[in-house]
Amino acid sequence: MSLSLILQAAQAGITNGFIYALVGMGLAVIFRGSRVINVMHGEFSVVGAMVTVLMLTSARYPYWIAILAGVSTGPLIGALIELTLVRPMIRQRATEDQFVLLTIGLERAIAAAVLFFIGRDGYLLPAFGGDHVFIVFDVVIREHALWLIAIATFVVVALREFFRHTTLGLAMTAASIDADGAATTGINVARMRTLTFVLGGLLGAIAGILITPLIAVDYQTGLPITLKGIAAAILGGFTNPLGAVVGGLTLGMVESLVIVGVSSGYKDALTFSVLIVIMIFMPHGILGRGGRGGG
Amino acid sequence: MRARLLVGLLGIVLWALLPHILSRYMIDLLVFTAIYTIAGIGVGLLLGQCGIVNLGQATFYGIGAYSCAYLTVELGYPNVAGFIVGALISMTIALVVGWPVLRLTGYFLALATLALSIIGSSLFYEWDWLTGGELGIGGIPKLDIFGFKLDTPGRYYYLAWSIAFICMLLVGNLIASRTGLMLRAMRDSSEAAASLGIDMQWLRTRVFMLSALLGSVAGSLFAHYVSFTSVQSFTVDKSIGFLLIPVLGGVRSLWGVVLGALFVTVMPELLSRIGDIHQILFGLALVAVVVLLPEGLVGLLATAGRKLGWSRVRA
Repeated sequence: MSLSLILQAAQAGITNGFIYALVGMGLAVIFRGSRVINVMHGEFSVVGAMVTVLMLTSARYPYWIAILAGVSTGPLIGALIELTLVRPMIRQRATEDQFVLLTIGLERAIAAAVLFFIGRDGYLLPAFGGDHVFIVFDVVIREHALWLIAIATFVVVALREFFRHTTLGLAMTAASIDADGAATTGINVARMRTLTFVLGGLLGAIAGILITPLIAVDYQTGLPITLKGIAAAILGGFTNPLGAVVGGLTLGMVESLVIVGVSSGYKDALTFSVLIVIMIFMPHGILGRGGRGGG
Repeated sequence: MRARLLVGLLGIVLWALLPHILSRYMIDLLVFTAIYTIAGIGVGLLLGQCGIVNLGQATFYGIGAYSCAYLTVELGYPNVAGFIVGALISMTIALVVGWPVLRLTGYFLALATLALSIIGSSLFYEWDWLTGGELGIGGIPKLDIFGFKLDTPGRYYYLAWSIAFICMLLVGNLIASRTGLMLRAMRDSSEAAASLGIDMQWLRTRVFMLSALLGSVAGSLFAHYVSFTSVQSFTVDKSIGFLLIPVLGGVRSLWGVVLGALFVTVMPELLSRIGDIHQILFGLALVAVVVLLPEGLVGLLATAGRKLGWSRVRA
């Protein structure tokens, strides 16, 4: 295994890792705000990417308008799900597994809807920066990968600032840590929960649009994206959205090294075995912080 | 009491007559209902009695199927060998994996079993010397009982449902037994159960092994029924489907599992008559059941029964 091969793998690992990080962060934001593990999270990405594709190819809008339209589907769907389904179920005191099943049902319905309206074909978006590549130490880096890393980093930093320094972000954090306490200080806890779905949907849709120039997205892409995101979130400790970034990058690196060192077929088997081991021996994620007890 | 006996007898007669009344196509669906019931009982036992969400059943289903396929087609062993080897491998894996993993709780245990399902399906795909990969293994012999070939859906119906009923009876006895009491004590208050000296981890592991055994038997029955196994049948989607069975029907009731299995086999077929849109409707039907019927279809029947004045109907 030559050095440039390892570097090439590391580059792919970091690129994928940032996608996993965005998806994992969205899952963690929703989980922290509502205790729902959102199995349909990957569908935010698929719908976001597909709407962008449609705006671009059928309606022939400029790329940036298509992207805006695609990105905005995530928050819309997220809000819709929270208001129409999650809120009534919380009122009924639904259990953890009922929420898992709800999102599984939604995952099925949305994937089927994509199949129905768009068909079996996979679609690609044009890469940011076209097909331009940089070559550094024999490592080929597509310009899109750099855009992806830059945008993802910006989103991560923006999210961190949002949760730490804005009134709304602090209110959302407060509502998720202690709902009753937050309510007594005048925070509308239910609205904060809707906002966690809006934010989660936004992150999912952004991830979908960033990844579609790299892999063709079709109606079956949603569940694998969710699974990688869940893995990233677990590695990061799940209740900590920024932990998901560390989790996502670790996952991306482990995956590419397995592809280079072992075989691409064992990628999923090995990464998810590592995941089980980490869940058992490091129950708070690789950062070792944040609550996990009892789920 | 006499009324219930009568209903029970009528049910048995109806069950025995069904293959002669229904179309071959419907009987085929009912065979799958029986197979899914067996796998679903395992998942339902974990969920209803232990509060464990098992998203890994397709792995054991696959082990049962591939054991039969490999041993009969590649090695020429008798049919029963596949059932036994599949069951032993499944229970061993459940023991080795379950022992450490079952210490997790809630969502995280669910995610660990989901990870198990992903590992299983990607290994089935990768070990094509054993599983035939995407091409699968064909030509799995039909089962026979003392030379009587079970080579039509109608004949297989009796075998599959007999095994399903035996599994229900045995699991029903287990739930009613002292072990069942311990399981529910553990589910409702693990601290109290621990203080009474219940070895919870071993108990959970044993139920997980039993669930894996049921999944493996269902997989073996599946392989011999369709004579063909391929990786497509043992994906994460299948695991999700197995979890839906008890949840749709009602996790606290074994008959709920049968209802749930009926729902996931028959409903997509009925809906498919209205065209391509049926998959969307199936997803939405799932959502509707989860939101509107928290106790599953059995809960719906019980409510309907009460409204009709049948206070005897048990949920």
